[in-house]
Amino acid sequence: MAKVVELENVRREYLVGDQVTVALDDVTVAIESGEFVAIVGPSGSGKSTMMNLIGCLDRPSSGDVRISGSATRELSDNELTALRSKAIGFVFQQFQLLPNTSALENVMAPLLYQGISTKVAKQRATEMLTKLGLAERLNFDRNRLSGGQQQRVAIARALVTSPDIVLADEPTGALDSKTGAQVIELLKELHAEGRTIILITHDLDIAASAPRRIFLRDGLIEKDERGHA
Amino acid sequence: MNLLGTARLALSRIWATKTRSLLTMLGVVIGVAAIVALTSIVDGASQGINKSLATLGTNQLNLTALAPDALTEQDAQALAELEGVAVMFMQSQNEGTIATDTNRVNARLVGVSNQYFEAVKPEIAMGSYLSKNPLAQSARDVVFGADAANDLGLTSDMLGKTVKLNGQDFRLVGVLDDQAGFGTAGRVYVTLESARKIFSQYPYVSAIVVQAETPEGVDALQVAADRLLRERYGLSSDTEARYTITNQASLISAVSSITDTLGLLLTGIAAISLIVGGIGIMNIMLVSVRERTREIGVRRAIGAKQKDVLTQFLIEAVVLSLAGGIVGLILGQIAAFFLAILGDWEFAIRMDTVALALGFSLVVGVLFGVWPARTASKLEPIDALRFE
Repeated sequence: MAKVVELENVRREYLVGDQVTVALDDVTVAIESGEFVAIVGPSGSGKSTMMNLIGCLDRPSSGDVRISGSATRELSDNELTALRSKAIGFVFQQFQLLPNTSALENVMAPLLYQGISTKVAKQRATEMLTKLGLAERLNFDRNRLSGGQQQRVAIARALVTSPDIVLADEPTGALDSKTGAQVIELLKELHAEGRTIILITHDLDIAASAPRRIFLRDGLIEKDERGHA
Repeated sequence: MNLLGTARLALSRIWATKTRSLLTMLGVVIGVAAIVALTSIVDGASQGINKSLATLGTNQLNLTALAPDALTEQDAQALAELEGVAVMFMQSQNEGTIATDTNRVNARLVGVSNQYFEAVKPEIAMGSYLSKNPLAQSARDVVFGADAANDLGLTSDMLGKTVKLNGQDFRLVGVLDDQAGFGTAGRVYVTLESARKIFSQYPYVSAIVVQAETPEGVDALQVAADRLLRERYGLSSDTEARYTITNQASLISAVSSITDTLGLLLTGIAAISLIVGGIGIMNIMLVSVRERTREIGVRRAIGAKQKDVLTQFLIEAVVLSLAGGIVGLILGQIAAFFLAILGDWEFAIRMDTVALALGFSLVVGVLFGVWPARTASKLEPIDALRFE
């Protein structure tokens, strides 16, 4: 299996005031295509930093992060954006649907940013929303969608570009447990289809749904566990 | 994303916040409307002035004495001999009183040579001009300007009756209808010969008017007239003369340079309001960037390049400004239309005004949109996503 995520001796420091904070300290880990991995840890453990690095939103201070084979450290903002656009589909905790924008337009947006024509984008976005059971909601904006529906739109938006990695940051955090469970089921289905899913969470129960769990604490990998708990 | 898609995003955002967008535009609307309306006022005013000047004839030279003894009748006769002269007339004027049996007022007494009425052709309300007959030059006849007639309370039955000029008897032969004219009110006209007897210092005249045969001949005639007078008074070409020679064409160009300057000044003032409008747009755009920080973060996360964000915000600013410009242009033209009716001048939509208004608002949009748009595009995606 090809490695879609490779972290090699990755260190990420932040300067807060005049104090250097180490968020990740010499982390080495790899994730292969088709895996379903949970990155688990309490707040401050470095999991958000790891998500930003894997999501091509940030670059390491030292060490190498390779996403789909490209090392991110030396990339320009434009190159990083292009890699992100191709390789990563984001699902955020607060859904983060664009305001004043219909479900359809939200799902079209990543395609349009890739330079795909409006016509093709519309077709692909419609297919993806239909697949996720939102065919009746195409023209609804976020104010007229329930939390679960919003998260499904967000997942459709993440999937529509057929990214190498779906990066889900606390995707159930803003949902009730029943809807949350449905979202996890959806992620499992996507995994079963062969997609690579990386789930960032602090919730051990949620993490338990993933076949592989990477536990972070104080910027270090505490445990890398495989098989169902 | 291509430009069309980005433009669509920008437009839908403007549409989504209609009230705010309208209020944001207001500054530019007012600025542009002010520029358009003021330009049209200046245009109309100069049109009116030029029209009044044109009634005086563009082929005319006016020689005005700067001292009571600066110009004489002999000078005038000599000028009349110059080549290219069609008509010459002169006048001599002074303050004086006019009176009937019951009333007495101040007026300007004007002695005119016999070509005056024929050359100027003032409208006549009743009676006639002074007689052109050389034998009648000594006749004590007087023609009243409309204002002078009003001041004295003349009625139509006074025609042919006696009025007193500086205490001397004159026969009223006509009243002019010259109110609409230019600077002829409050005057009474007598022959030059009569004028000498009652007020002027023989043989001096206060003004000489020479009309060229053609408007094109005026400039040459002006040079010739000046040379002739300098010869007569033994003045070298660089000595200051005691008379001025002006022609209508140069007067018109002087007036139009004044109205041009006035126009520039007013446009400048209006441009300031346009700049204030631009600052309003910038302010709102900066607020908007802040409010939409998270949206910008999400857009960056799902693949928007810095350029995409920059373009989206820039287009928003430009569209706001340009839309303001268009609305301002329409309002300004409507105002100009009514002002034209009010001021009785011609209404015309000038293409240069349209271009100026739209060009200006475009520039304002770009100028004041760049900073907010750059601020938006330079946001770090992580920080933007985390922004509360």
